[in-house]
Amino acid sequence: MGELKSVTLCSAEDLQPGERQLVKVDGSEIAIFNINGQLYAVRNKCPHQGVSMVYGSIDGTMLPSDPHTYQYGKHNEILRCPLHGWGFDIKTGESLFDAEKCKIKTYDIRQEGDSIVLYLNKEPKIVSLIETNACFVS
Amino acid sequence: MVNAINEKNSAGSTKTKQLVIDSDVHSYFNSIEELVPYCDESLQKRLNIGPFKKKSFNGKVVSSGEFRFPECRYINPGSVLRLDAFSPNGSIPGADPEFVAKDLFDRSNTVYGVLNSANATMGAFHNVEIANEFNSVYNNWQYENWIEKDARYKMSMLVTPLDPVAAVKEIERIGKKPGVVAINLQTTSIPLGKRHFYPIYEIAEAYGLPILMHPDSESSGENGPAQAVGPASTYMEWHACLGLIAQRNIASLVCEGVFERFPKLKFVFAEYGMAWLPGLMWRLDKNWKALRDEVPWLKNRPSEYIRRNVRLGTQPIEEPFRSKDLLEVIQMAGAEDMLLYSSDYPHWDGDEADRVFNSLPKDLKNKIFYENALNTYNFNR
Ligand code: FES
Repeated sequence: MGELKSVTLCSAEDLQPGERQLVKVDGSEIAIFNINGQLYAVRNKCPHQGVSMVYGSIDGTMLPSDPHTYQYGKHNEILRCPLHGWGFDIKTGESLFDAEKCKIKTYDIRQEGDSIVLYLNKEPKIVSLIETNACFVS
Repeated sequence: MVNAINEKNSAGSTKTKQLVIDSDVHSYFNSIEELVPYCDESLQKRLNIGPFKKKSFNGKVVSSGEFRFPECRYINPGSVLRLDAFSPNGSIPGADPEFVAKDLFDRSNTVYGVLNSANATMGAFHNVEIANEFNSVYNNWQYENWIEKDARYKMSMLVTPLDPVAAVKEIERIGKKPGVVAINLQTTSIPLGKRHFYPIYEIAEAYGLPILMHPDSESSGENGPAQAVGPASTYMEWHACLGLIAQRNIASLVCEGVFERFPKLKFVFAEYGMAWLPGLMWRLDKNWKALRDEVPWLKNRPSEYIRRNVRLGTQPIEEPFRSKDLLEVIQMAGAEDMLLYSSDYPHWDGDEADRVFNSLPKDLKNKIFYENALNTYNFNR
């Protein structure tokens, strides 16, 4: 893999903590999130039935435990599909039920100065922000 | 008959887009207060709505004075409503007819969508008077706010399964209105084959209205547990076992001879799955050979009645280990003409029309998405 290409998506003002945006990079949509100052970017297409991940909720999960015991963890690290609720580790894109075989693609995203910058394998031709419906985050 | 429209894509080439009839769309109200104009004063009083709204001590007390629907007793750990379906006007998913038409019908190429009330749970309500009146009021509200707003909306009408006399009256009242295409009967602890229901079946058959069953409030009120051997502990168990209700009711309908008495009456089981169908058919057929003295009125194999009179909503479709096995299951049951695509919009366990069934041959897809529904409901009444 060659050197990553950087693209400026928007100003940091447009992606404040608690906010999310949808961007289109050539043919693909990428959902970007600011969770308490941490930035994340994932492909906007659930690997199950393809719905838009930008509408997904962000929460934690019950960690693997013994029968009839519960332990909550990974708070704010799980992005859930807005339709059937499959959960993905927002840092790695790995699904909670099959980390190896079921993943959602993640991208490197950073704040550089006042800009939000995404790193991609190849130079994109067209980058645009897409308007979303009211996003509801549970 | 036109089977598909041709769409030009941006490159100028044309591709056919499958026409869709959706057998399960849910209409919500934003608040039960929307029903107030449709209720007389006495019903407002009994539902504690409108001027009789209870304040629950400013929300500090969960008051049994509030009207509450019988409901599923299990808590979904995520959300029961899909989170990508909020309307721009702020309505909850499924509560804005204009947005549902755009977000679901336009996107999926849906010609008709059958609305099954999100509040079809009064079958489990102990007070049958309230259930009857609520159902009539709801039917009126849905007709005025959805059916009359967009010709693609069709509806199943609510009736009270515990009161067949009132159910027949309600069907006489609105069962011939254009847009009313099915009767939403709701489950109770009375198996569907029992004589209790025959007055409803008689008028349903005469009016050409299929009986539609959908999970509603199993394990609550008048309803037995959905899980046959006793209540589940988790939403997951409850949801995975819903198919047992359909299997039990289909066995009852067949064995009691309902399809001999009412040969033209169809039953749509929506949201109970379908992969169990071959096993149920095989078991009933086998038993019929040995035990037919109990049911001498069955002139044909049970599976033949099932194929003729039962339709299954496809959602939530089972996802076999090898996706192509789905076709095998359909063929094993001979269910090609029985399956009706359902999105279940805006619920969490819905199926996306452009993704589900991509492993099936084109002709079969057209049956499931379109033709079978045309042969089940009368959309031109
Ligand atoms: S479409 Fe995302 S979990 Fe099913």
